[in-house]
This record gives sequence, C-alpha cells and structure tokens, in this order.
Amino acid sequence: MRNFEHITPPDLESAVDLLSERGTKSIAGGTDLLPEMKSRLRSPRRLVNLKALEELRYLKHNARKGFQIGALTTLAEIESNELIREKIPILAQAASVAASPQLRNMGTIGGNLCQSVRCWYYRAPEFKCWLKGGDTCYAIEGENKFHAILESSPCCAVHPSDLAPALMALGASVHITGTDEEGTVSLEEFFVRPKASNRQMTILGANELITEVQVPMLDGDSSGIYLKAMDRKVWAFALVSVAVQVSWDKERVKGARIVLGGVAPIPWRVPAAEEIVRDQAITEEIATSASEAALEGAQPLRDNGYKIALAKALVKRALMTLAERAKK
Amino acid sequence: MKKFSGTEPKAQHKGASDGATAVQERETTKLVGQSIPRVDAIDKVLGKTQYPGDLSRPDMVFMKVLLARRPHARIKKIDSSATLATPGVMAVFTASDVPCNEYGLIEPDQPVLCGDVVRYIGDKVALVIAQNEHAAIIGRERLVVDYEDLPAITDPRRALDSSALILHAAKKTNLLAQRRIRKGNIESGFTKADVIVESEYVTPHQEHAYLQPEAGLAYLDEQGRVVIETAAQWSHDDRHQIAHALGLPQDQVRVIYTYGGGAFGGKEDVSIQIVLALAAWKLRKPVKLIWDRDESIIGHHKRHPYIIKAKWGATRDGKLTAIQMDLLSDAGAYASSSREVLNNATAMCTGPYECENVWVDSRAVYTNNPTCGAFRGFGAPQVEFAAEMQMNKLAEALDMDSVELRKKNLWRNGSIQATGAPVPEPVGVIKVLEAAARAAAWPVKKSSSKRLETKKRGFGVACGFKNVGYGFGFDEKCTVTLELHGRSEIEKVVVRAGASDAGQGAHTILTQFVADALDVPLEKIQLVTGDTSEADPVGSCSASRLAFMLGQAVRGAAELAKEKWRTQSERPVKATYRFKPRPTTPLDPETGRGDPAISYCYAAQIAEVEVDTATGQVTVLKLISAHDVGKAVNPQQLIGQIEGGAAQGLGWATVEHFVMKDGFVMTPNFTLYLIPTVLDVPEIMNTVVLEDPDPQGPQGARGVGEMGLIPAAPALVAAVHDATGVWFDQLPLTPERVLKGLQSVP
Repeated sequence: MRNFEHITPPDLESAVDLLSERGTKSIAGGTDLLPEMKSRLRSPRRLVNLKALEELRYLKHNARKGFQIGALTTLAEIESNELIREKIPILAQAASVAASPQLRNMGTIGGNLCQSVRCWYYRAPEFKCWLKGGDTCYAIEGENKFHAILESSPCCAVHPSDLAPALMALGASVHITGTDEEGTVSLEEFFVRPKASNRQMTILGANELITEVQVPMLDGDSSGIYLKAMDRKVWAFALVSVAVQVSWDKERVKGARIVLGGVAPIPWRVPAAEEIVRDQAITEEIATSASEAALEGAQPLRDNGYKIALAKALVKRALMTLAERAKK
Repeated sequence: MKKFSGTEPKAQHKGASDGATAVQERETTKLVGQSIPRVDAIDKVLGKTQYPGDLSRPDMVFMKVLLARRPHARIKKIDSSATLATPGVMAVFTASDVPCNEYGLIEPDQPVLCGDVVRYIGDKVALVIAQNEHAAIIGRERLVVDYEDLPAITDPRRALDSSALILHAAKKTNLLAQRRIRKGNIESGFTKADVIVESEYVTPHQEHAYLQPEAGLAYLDEQGRVVIETAAQWSHDDRHQIAHALGLPQDQVRVIYTYGGGAFGGKEDVSIQIVLALAAWKLRKPVKLIWDRDESIIGHHKRHPYIIKAKWGATRDGKLTAIQMDLLSDAGAYASSSREVLNNATAMCTGPYECENVWVDSRAVYTNNPTCGAFRGFGAPQVEFAAEMQMNKLAEALDMDSVELRKKNLWRNGSIQATGAPVPEPVGVIKVLEAAARAAAWPVKKSSSKRLETKKRGFGVACGFKNVGYGFGFDEKCTVTLELHGRSEIEKVVVRAGASDAGQGAHTILTQFVADALDVPLEKIQLVTGDTSEADPVGSCSASRLAFMLGQAVRGAAELAKEKWRTQSERPVKATYRFKPRPTTPLDPETGRGDPAISYCYAAQIAEVEVDTATGQVTVLKLISAHDVGKAVNPQQLIGQIEGGAAQGLGWATVEHFVMKDGFVMTPNFTLYLIPTVLDVPEIMNTVVLEDPDPQGPQGARGVGEMGLIPAAPALVAAVHDATGVWFDQLPLTPERVLKGLQSVP
C-alpha cells in the first residue's frame, strides 16, 4: 500500500472535520479498508482513526428506545452480548456467521454496513469496472455466479453484509453525523442502488460517519431467524441469506419483515412476501407462496439462476422454522 | 499380512512418549513401524524453525517481480526511468539481463523474464530491487510497459483450431504432447458389450494453497558461489535450472532448502529461484523476495484441468469388454511437467481394471491459461475420477452392486495393464476394496436425516491407484552418503541426502531408516539435507517416491558403511550408495505399449454424504479409506498423509472452484478461492491400513503421499448420486452446480 498519514482525532467533531479533506478515509476495524488499500483499490493519503473514539463504543438497551449500538461495537461483541442474544437473537446469529472469529474481533457494526462489495471484477486491479468509475460492469456478461438476480444494472455486485439484512428485518436505523448536519435514517433509506452520480451502495457522504445503530423495541411476541447459504461451511460470504423477523399473535403472524442478502446490490426487503404471511398462520403452502413472491421478478444472469431456487428454499425454511417454534 | 486401523496409532500415540510402539504386534527395538515424534516438531512448535520468509542477512535488499497480468501480449517497450528515479530503487532487470533466458522442469520453454511476448498472466516481465520492500513495490508500480494485446486461447478445445494463434512460434503447433494406447480390438470389445456407458467429465484447475507462499533469499557465499535459500521440492534440479539460466557451472550455484510450509507438487517447478539468483549474482548483494498470496496463486502452476470423454462397455455379468478414453489436458502457457502428467493420465485412465480392448487418445495443449504442472496425484486424480465414475455408472446400468462389479474386474496378481506390461506384484487393490467395504458394512442402507426431509443421505465407493516414482523410462536414482564418526563405537552418523521435507515428515522417516539400518539411537543421527553442496541428490520430494527411494538408498549405504567400519581402521567411515529402482520404459507413441511403473500403491474409499436438496450444499459425514502401504514406516505420519490427502481431494470435489475468465484468474486469494476448513472435512475419517509388503520397497513400504487424494472425489460424487439420483460429471460440486443438476430431476 502507499504511504499515508494516520491521525487519531480527539473527538467525533474533529474526526468529521478531518474527513472533509480530499483523499481522507476513516478507519475503524480496517478489515475491509486495509485489504482494499493493499490491492490499491483505494489509496487514501490520510486515515482518520476512529478506534480511539470511546464515545462510539457502547451498547445500550431500554424498554422505550430498544437497542442503541455504538458504531465501534465489534461483531464479536454483538455475537456474544447476552441482551442481544435474548431480545434480538437474529442479530447475534447474523454476526456469528459473518467472516471468521479474527475478523469479527476487529470488524465493527458501523464498518460492516459501509463495506464494499466482494465482486471479483471490482476487487481485481485488472478491471476498471463501472463501480470503480469505469464504463462496464464486466460481470453482467462475464463470470457472475455470485452476482445479483434482482436489480443488476448498472452494477450487479451484491451487498456482502450479514448484519444488514438482519438489521433491516429488525427495522433498524442508523444515526449519521456529518460536518454540517446529523440525523437518523432507516436502513431502507441508507442503502441505495448505485447510480452514475453515486457509485456506492449507501447515501453516506465522504465526510459523514455512522455513529450509532438503533434497533427499535419489538412487539412483545416476536421472533427472528437468519439463514445463510455459503460455498463452504464457514468463513465465506453469503451466496444468499435471508433474515425474517415475525411478530406473532399466538400462532398467527401479525407482521413480518423479510429481507434477502446476496441477491441485489443492497439488502433486499420483499414486501410482497411479507404481505402474504400477514395475518396468517404459516403453513407449508403459505411459506411456499411467500417464497415465490419474494423472488418475483428475479432476472438471473448466465450463472446465477441457482440463487432463485436457493433464496426460495431459505425463505421457506426460515418461515417454517419460525412457525414451528411459535407452536412450542 | 498385518493390518491396523487408523484410530489405533492416534490413541496409542498419546501415551507414546516412552517410545511405546504404535502397533502392539510390532517388535519394539526397531524404529521403522513406530510413530516416533517428528524430528522437526520441537523447533517448529517453539517457533525456532526458519521458513524461507524468515530468512535475513545483513544489508540484504528486496525484490519485487512485475508479472504480466494479461493473458497474451507483445511487449513493445519497457520504460524503467521512473522506477530507477524512485528513492531506494537500486536496479531493474529485464529479459536482456538474463544470460540464458529459458528454464523449465523438463523442457526449457519458459523465459525467465519475458522479452517479446507474455503468454499468461503469471509471466514474469521485470524485477525491481530496492533498499526495502516498500520502495520495490513503488518502483514496480512506476514501470511502464507498453503492450500490444494478442488474441488469447483460453479454451483448450480451441487450441488446435487452424485459426488459433501459435503460442510458441518455434513449435508450429499448440499440441504439446499426445499419447495413444491401442490394445486389443476396441470395436469387437463394444460388440461384446451388453451395456455401454458414455460420458464427458470435466475436472478443474486446482490451486495448491500451501500455507507458505514462495519466498527466498539469495546471496554470494565466501567462495563466490551464488546461494539460494528457499524451500521447494527438488534442490538439485533447482540448481541445474538456475545454473543453466545464469550460464554458470553447477558448482557455482548452491541451493539450500529450509523447512517448507507445504508444497503438494506446487514447488516442483522453479518459481522465484532463478530471479533471486540472477539479482544476487548481478548486484553481489543478498536479495530477498516474498510472494504475496495473489502472486503465488497467479505465479505458480496449477493442477491440469482435463476434459475426458469416456466410453466403457461391459457384459451383462459385469466383465469389462472395452474402454475408450479421450483425454484433453490444458497445459497452460508452458510445458512444465504436462507431458509427464499426460503419461500418467494415459497409462492410468483405465483405472486398476482388466480390459482386453483399450483405445486411448490423449493430448496436452498450450493455452494462455496459467501453466499447469505437478499436483499431488500427477494426472491420476483426473482420469481416475472418470474411470471410477464409469464403474459406478456401469454398476447402476447393470443393476449390480458397485463393489461386486469392481471385484470382477480389478487387477490381481498376473493381471496385464493397458500398456501390455504385467502389474507389479503383489497387487493389493481387491484387498483394500474389501477392507473398506468391511469397515463401512457395505452395502450400506440409506437412512434419511430426520431433521429435514430435504436432506438426503447416500454412500459411494471408489478405488484408486498411483505409481511410485517417475517411471516411463526415466532414469530414476537416489543417492545417500552416510558418515560414521567415532572410534570403536559409532558416536555420530551424518546423513547426506538432499531430501526436501515439505511438512510431510520425510526427514523423520529418513532418520528412522538410518537408525534401524545402523542400529544407532536417533540422537546420534545428524541430517544434512538442505544444501546441494553438502548433500547427495536424492531426486524430488514428489511422486510418492521419497520414503521408498530413501529407504533403499539408506539400506545400501548402511551395508557399505558397516562393512567399512568392520574392515577399515580409518575414521570417519564414509559410504555412498546410489539406489536405482527397476527400470521402466516409455509408452510406444503408436500403441502405448510399455512398462510404465516401478510399482503401484492402492486405496479404496467409501464416503457418506448428506445433500441438502433445497440449498445444494453437500456435507461429507464420513470417509473410510483403506490403503495398502506395504509397510507403515511411521503410522501417525502415515495417517496424517492419508487424511490430509483425502481432505484435499474432497476440497477439489466440493469447495475449491478455481474460476478462469479469458485467461484471468478470478479467484486469486483465499476469500474467493475457498479451501476446506475443519468443518468441511468429515467428522469421521476412518483409515484402515494394510501392509502387504512390496518386495521392491524398503522393508516392504510402498508410496503413500498422493494416494489419499485420488479416490475421494469419485467416492463423494457416487455418494451424492446415491442420495439424489443425479450424476455430476463436472467438479467441483458447489451449491450452484448441485442445484442446477437437481433441477433436471423431478
């Protein structure tokens, strides 16, 4: 990697100020940024070290606001936190199957939501792909078994985060702090399809930081599940993942949030499937039609048609598993 | 025949610090046959062992290699002015700096540094040497190479088209090698068949994925010789290739091997050795180089992908009548050992089965894909995958148990190979199959998982065999010198044998042989293995040969040494013995007739899998391996070799998907190229070891290094078929492939 300046700011305000200068990037766990720098995908002149900002390292819970998770909270902390495991186990599950233990010890929740795509064309220095400012998405006509089956233009990479679908299923928001303003947006607003004027998967500006992830209080009777299919048993990115959070009225679904990972450039919520299970007791038939609805409109590329079958299977399996648990 | 199960030595070893034998029936005074701890273990666990990346010398400088990173192009100009102006950069070397710009394991068709054309992404174009590694990297970035891209041949099926560009102009064809076997009458063989099974199999590239990427340090010693310290598989051949490229006599070059972190065939070819030597020789300074993982994956050779068309016929009662095979091997850009791999593939593509009528056409072609070469199994895994798939499909077509069908056709004493030569005896393949079947209680009744009805279980069997040593007429030899120090009693034994230990334990085995042959305790034995100026040439650490050859060379040297010790007063006693195994012959180019192998080793494996038919994920629950090893020299190491090989074979069959596109490697790191984790290998690996002595091997030992890998893939695919009813003819069985395959059945 190229030489860079490494600055540890005293507080959040100075951190954000420093980020306003060109060629500056923030670094927390560094699990995504450092490999990008080593392979020259990014060569910032200056890194603003967030790790010393103790004010971003917390995990609070109360009955009114639900969870407030400081952006520097690591995936390992989320995975092992007793309150999270008890109240929103879907998030602990998602964290526990992300990356490897070493990476989970370093990687933060804020960084996880901002990570770059894993597309092999994007990652290879030989290809100046659209996302990197080029003209072409090479995967659309090329090797695309890991790529998007929904929304595959102008870039068909998929968002790699495990936490993002789980958080979106929990109805989470992120608090963003910038130089001039700050505010809270839902994850549905935070993740955006890339476009020519914004070649990235989030609305986050160069001088903005996620400072907190907020998970609202869930209904009294709520349960969730995160399922992830990989090419090997562990330590791989999702081929497809699904996060389902259901609120129950006995065995009937009051409401559900169903989010797919690995199928689109952003975590992909599927309201049509949610609609099908609402006010229903989940039977195999209902689960099947929800899974069909979830993949409605999918347009596979040459090599990724299998993701449709895989995603349907996971949606159905997630719903059936939750329904069985609800009966007990 | 003695026999023990794989679980025994492990359990025994826990309490073996007092030197207890691994296998109870063995006599205790001899070390061969015991699971003695590795001679290198203590230093390794203490972190004292120096691997190539750990080496340093005062005032050493650093090198980075500019790889082509494009599949086929003409070099129009290299501008190094910005590089040379970079602070810290000391030199840039290009093709014109190489005295004799060619190398290769068998045939020197590869430029050390490309001058006119680059033929694959891993071709080396220039070297940048700087005061520190960072400056070398910056300097390399500033090299400006003006290329003119050329059309690339990336589909081996197109390599021989008349329109295809010729990769090596002097050769006038992209056909690197071809072989044939013509035995019996293939047409009448098919006429006699009641059932014919025809399929096309596709096996992929495989990356060796060793822990330790290529690294080394080169410098001039006090005698002015250029020394290259690294770890690879064949120090004396490295020396030969380095000396050739540098235009130096061999005694001006010294190769010193440290311990290595894995090789698997991937370090049989020269990678960084010549460029390191060149830089040190030119600059008269110590030069160090460490390849990054992506440089390693792009820069060293791969397992050959094979496209195999198979047509096999059998009678109703299960006798093979005809075997027709067409093999197409993607050699990549340079020859490496593609011809020799093709030899193996050709001779072994019938499996260890008797058949009177055999017709084989095999070709290796140049393409602009990464160069392919040695990889554990050396052609056998690819063709035996096809052969075992054919047997399992024939069993299905004949509605016959697949073990029974095999037993009707497997080699036995007196069998004749497809090449016309008798199979070296004793032939243990039926015994290993029976042992595996017994351990698995074959035929096994399927029990579906209760948890989810989408999870289907199945069992599959495959046999395998592998030649020991190079064979095919190669003049194989292994030389060992023993020095006995002391007066009336042997106080120290110095063993001079240039044997590479890539981590598999060759040095421990060597020590065991020496201790027994001279009847001295381990502590008195001192190994000199790494330095080509100090150790005798033993040949490569490959081809399941090293223990076999070392054992015999040690036996011969020990006999001579003991004789001198008795009859001469001069001390120390020094004795050198060169072991030459029985000669083999190359295959006749037209008929394939020949005696290709010194000896064979055999294995059978039975896999139990669970297939999640909803997600396409395959889990291997259990793998039973039965091996005839002749003699288990060190049972613990042996089991490690077998299980490690099996894990690598299962990886090749499931998670290891090396993806190429238009000559580019899409999977140049371990985020994209997945290898099995501990959770991907079966919970239960039951290894059964048979010891049917090979009269040619030391104390009856055969080779074992490659065998564990070979039957794993076909056993697994047969088990997946048993579970799902679908045959998968292309590896690896990723969820993508499995789901696609399952969608074709109701």
